[in-house]
Amino acid sequence: MVRPGFVLEVDERTPPLLVHEGEGFRLQKFPLGARVIYPPDSLPGIRDVRGAIRHAIANPLDSEPLAELLKPGMKLTIAIDDISLPLPPMQAPDVRQLVLEEVIELAARRGVEDLKLTMANSLHRRMTADEIKHAVGERVFRSFYPKDLTNFDAEDPNGLAFIGTTEKGEEVEIGKRAAESDLLVYVNINLVPMDGGHKSVPIGLAGYRSIRHHHNVHTMLHSKSYMDPRPGHSAIHDSARRMGKVLRDAGIRIFTIETTLNNDVFPDPFGFMNKREWEWSVKDQASYLAAKKANDLAPPKLRHQVYLRIKSPYGVTGVNAGDTDAVHERTLARLHEQQLVEVEGQSDVLVLGIPYIGPYNVNSIMNPILVHCMGPGYLFNMYRNKPVVRPGGVLIMFHPVPWEFHQVHHPSYVDFFEEVLSETTDPMTIESKWEQQYATDPWYIHLYRTSYAYHGVHPFYMWYWGAHALDYLGDVIVVGGDPKACARMGYRAASSFRDALEMAGETVGRSPSISYLHVPPLTVADVR
Amino acid sequence: MAASSKRTRSLADEVREVARGWRWGRRPVVPRSAERVTPPAKVWSFPTDWARTEPGRVARDVILSGVMKPIVWNETSPEVFGLDNLDHLKPPVMFVSNHSSHLDATLILTTLPPKWRNKTATAAAKDYFFDVWWRSAFTALVYGGFPIERGGGERATEKARELVRDGWNLIVFPEGTRTQDGWVQRFRHGTARLAIELDMPVVPIAIVGAYAAMPKGRSWPKKGRPPIRVRYGRALVPEEGESHQAFSLRMQHAIAELFDEDRTSWWEARRRAATGETPRISGPQGPRWLRTWEGSRPVRRRGTPPVWR
Amino acid sequence: MTTQALELFRSVPRYLAARAIGSHVPGLVSGPLSTLRLVNRKDPEPLGEGWARVRPILSGICGSDVATLSGRSSFYFSPLVSMPFVPGHEVVGELVDEVDGMPAGTRVVLEPVLSCLARGLEPCANCASGATGRCDRVTAGHVSPGLQTGYCADTGGGWSRMFVAHRSQLHRVPEEISDRRAVLIEPLSCAVHAALRAGVEPNAEVLVIGAGTVGLLVLLALKELTRPGRITVVAKHGVQREWAEGFGATEVVSPSEAVGEVRRATRAMKLRPERGQSYLLGGVDVAIDCVGSRSSLDLALRTTRAGGRIVMAGIPVEGTDLTPLWFRELELVGAYTGGIETVGKQERHAFDIATELAGSWPLDGMVGATYPLGRWREAIDHALAAGRLGTLKVAFEPHAE
Repeated sequence: MVRPGFVLEVDERTPPLLVHEGEGFRLQKFPLGARVIYPPDSLPGIRDVRGAIRHAIANPLDSEPLAELLKPGMKLTIAIDDISLPLPPMQAPDVRQLVLEEVIELAARRGVEDLKLTMANSLHRRMTADEIKHAVGERVFRSFYPKDLTNFDAEDPNGLAFIGTTEKGEEVEIGKRAAESDLLVYVNINLVPMDGGHKSVPIGLAGYRSIRHHHNVHTMLHSKSYMDPRPGHSAIHDSARRMGKVLRDAGIRIFTIETTLNNDVFPDPFGFMNKREWEWSVKDQASYLAAKKANDLAPPKLRHQVYLRIKSPYGVTGVNAGDTDAVHERTLARLHEQQLVEVEGQSDVLVLGIPYIGPYNVNSIMNPILVHCMGPGYLFNMYRNKPVVRPGGVLIMFHPVPWEFHQVHHPSYVDFFEEVLSETTDPMTIESKWEQQYATDPWYIHLYRTSYAYHGVHPFYMWYWGAHALDYLGDVIVVGGDPKACARMGYRAASSFRDALEMAGETVGRSPSISYLHVPPLTVADVR
Repeated sequence: MAASSKRTRSLADEVREVARGWRWGRRPVVPRSAERVTPPAKVWSFPTDWARTEPGRVARDVILSGVMKPIVWNETSPEVFGLDNLDHLKPPVMFVSNHSSHLDATLILTTLPPKWRNKTATAAAKDYFFDVWWRSAFTALVYGGFPIERGGGERATEKARELVRDGWNLIVFPEGTRTQDGWVQRFRHGTARLAIELDMPVVPIAIVGAYAAMPKGRSWPKKGRPPIRVRYGRALVPEEGESHQAFSLRMQHAIAELFDEDRTSWWEARRRAATGETPRISGPQGPRWLRTWEGSRPVRRRGTPPVWR
Repeated sequence: MTTQALELFRSVPRYLAARAIGSHVPGLVSGPLSTLRLVNRKDPEPLGEGWARVRPILSGICGSDVATLSGRSSFYFSPLVSMPFVPGHEVVGELVDEVDGMPAGTRVVLEPVLSCLARGLEPCANCASGATGRCDRVTAGHVSPGLQTGYCADTGGGWSRMFVAHRSQLHRVPEEISDRRAVLIEPLSCAVHAALRAGVEPNAEVLVIGAGTVGLLVLLALKELTRPGRITVVAKHGVQREWAEGFGATEVVSPSEAVGEVRRATRAMKLRPERGQSYLLGGVDVAIDCVGSRSSLDLALRTTRAGGRIVMAGIPVEGTDLTPLWFRELELVGAYTGGIETVGKQERHAFDIATELAGSWPLDGMVGATYPLGRWREAIDHALAAGRLGTLKVAFEPHAE
């Protein structure tokens, strides 16, 4: 029986609860009366995923079957979600591999010859050959890489096509190959409600000229939240929808294939992390002790390697194909089934344990700016209707916030942290004063196009992602955080949870109401 | 003031934190707000599967045929009838018998043909046979016993279901306990329910004379090799849509007919069964002394076999 | 007919082992060292005219039950019980048989004492005056020895699916009182009795030691039936503190703060002996010990003024230093269970007073957890650590699955 998500009220019988903090975790005793928001149990995965994929593309929603859309002599392009999904990476075979193999097999049988694959990485970094191979599978990799399977280059002057402008004056420009194809197939993994839908093509295959229209402070402040893509709730998704319409009006045919995964995030030795703490068997308790001790004793480099190698045993809970809007509606429904929890009312304090991995540090290092993106950014926004914490409340996060940057992946971040944040943390000022300069800097563009670096403007987007939270909250306190790194970002650092609560007392009083969002696995709080 | 990252705590501190948080040495508790979404902890049952493995079965064979059978056959004089009723049956079946003595399970197990005995498990009351570890081990080994809770309910028969699914025959005593006065008590519903749910044929067995030989209260048979007869009857199959009350009644009638057959002859018993005049095995209505008086009538030394062998 | 019951059986080695190590490893008390077992036994038969069978709905676990299981009860009780017995004397149940004007199906609470009337004897002097708790004949008559139902082999007890009771032991429960409140009527009647035995003068200083179920109900009874000046309650656990404040205690303190607080409130002199704890010359007028441990009686002796009174509402354990009793000319008074009480000018039965209180005071939530008989080990374990787990009273719900 799959139990729905539920909200626990901490009492004398509650054991200490698991809290993640970067490449580590701990047990933390919460004060009596604190609420803990647990996700639903993991849904069972589809047993025959290939069969489900075949069924979806043969019986798509609001579209002809894919087989009918494939003809000899046509120009076919397949765009694929990049390395930022899923988190953590999936155990082989990746679901994208399964989808691609079915689609390509069909294309081959239908006589298609002009076929190119592209990773839809927009302004994210290029994927290495190994990373691409893991996502698409060995067979697809061997057949297409490197000539016909490429990373998208958003700074290639000859690689972009201007399509049109939305009614709000937003310029829509996507990859030329995709725009000129007879059919564009998009292979998606919908990890959170922010993904998918019209965010796939108009954003995944777009360049700075398009993206700046919705990746800005104003849009972020009006996306309450971007995990709730309903019209009117999230400005960024409204913009994406407008852009999607422009693409459709221009005659660009898109066949979307979206997949959803269940909550089986933790591989075997960490199975206890998926269970509710009071249901831990003796074996689970022993596993916890062993894992904790091993983690604490390991030298940081070794620990980092262990975490990099974590691959999740996800099950696929749904595959839908066809017209973007129809498909995305189904996708969101399935996603909510797995992630949505009803929560009554807001609290004074929100507690988050920041995990070791986010969309922008896969196979990399989580630098302080990425902690900001995960905490006040993504996890703060995992709500519908209202945030879990009240306006002016306090966010308490657990993470060491090490002052460390990956020099290859995040070169512009280093400069952003040194130059920009040392002057101000206000998103509006940052946007007006520095964004243009970083976005057009030729060195960053060079690294983006030829190395494996995130675009020069990317750290700005990381900062904007938390703009709503910074505007909304009264204080942000990090337990166990490096004091200097935290100070640079405008946070306060505390050495223990009790100290953090005391510091929070200055904003919310001596006995605040507390909510702990027990992620991972991912949960969206539906706040009433 | 704030030292960065983790203060490396000793393993002892970590263990202490887990021990206190999960109440080692005490029973687990569930937070109040989580009570309705947490399934209750499974009550621990003495493991009995080891006795049903190959070496366990061999050991049981040795004990039953090498020790128990000679003793029982020496102290009493048992006879078996009706084993041909098992010929066309396919396991798993449920053997159902009246219960008047601790000899009952032994008598059934030692009179069953080997191919049946080897795949038979006995349902034994959890609170009586599985109270201390050595009695549990004995019951599991010698009788292939498994615990069944006398209170009833779904959980009580969990193990039984599991065994039947693996193809084991069961020996069940529907009265639930040995009779005090020698007469057959009311059958408990659980047996019929289980047979219907699992769609098993039920073989009725009447054990005559065990009460006189070793009633409740004695742990050794009376002197003088008292006669005992174990009569196997024709299997009953639950009918489509039959209620458990009706099936339970059918089982009681089947055993009553076997008693009648023992008292008189097979033919007479059939005639009385057809007209519904089979004498009740639940004993006469009346004061306790009368029931005990009637129940303790001496049993005939030699039984009459059915007309056709 | 047989049904489930929890039976306490005689096992001297287990009893002694539980006494020796029970406090250090409580898990053993609900586990292998337990003298309790779940059996399927024959239902007790009504023991004659005026007896009826009762189906328990809720049956509380009392401090004395817990003490018995952890080997801490006195051997004094041994002739007053008949083994094996089914424990459980705080019961709200349903009549199975009709008896003496109450039809089958009536909801009743049990007055557990097995006095002369129940035993078919001519009332002894105590029973005749209405103090059934003081009955001299609890080992005689046609019922096996047993001071109460829940300690007698013939009657069964609350921790089962069926027991028998005499008409004199049954009190009807009004409709508007829920089961969870009704199960507290018996301990409430003991609390009423203790509060009245305390003889609290108007404006007196009262100290209630212990804020478990006994202490809280005594506090309630004191507020209702007497007019003290201040009531200070000594509470060990957070949940107990909250309830005590809710019931209107003037002050709630932790055990270590008690002496200091009483000294300040009564402006007494505090003396420190070379060995042992500080004590007061002066102090409260009445102290009511609702815990029954060595340290609680000790605290009472140390904080009561000369000529004052100490009421033992909980069963005392080992002896303690009684020097203060002699020196300060104190009265040490025992309060066991209620009977006919004198309140002002009226004579009323403690159970009737308790029933009234159960209807008017906010007792919901006092029963913090219920368990079916099958999960008795968890129930006992919970009861052993109730305060720490934020629960006041644990009860059995014998007919739940």
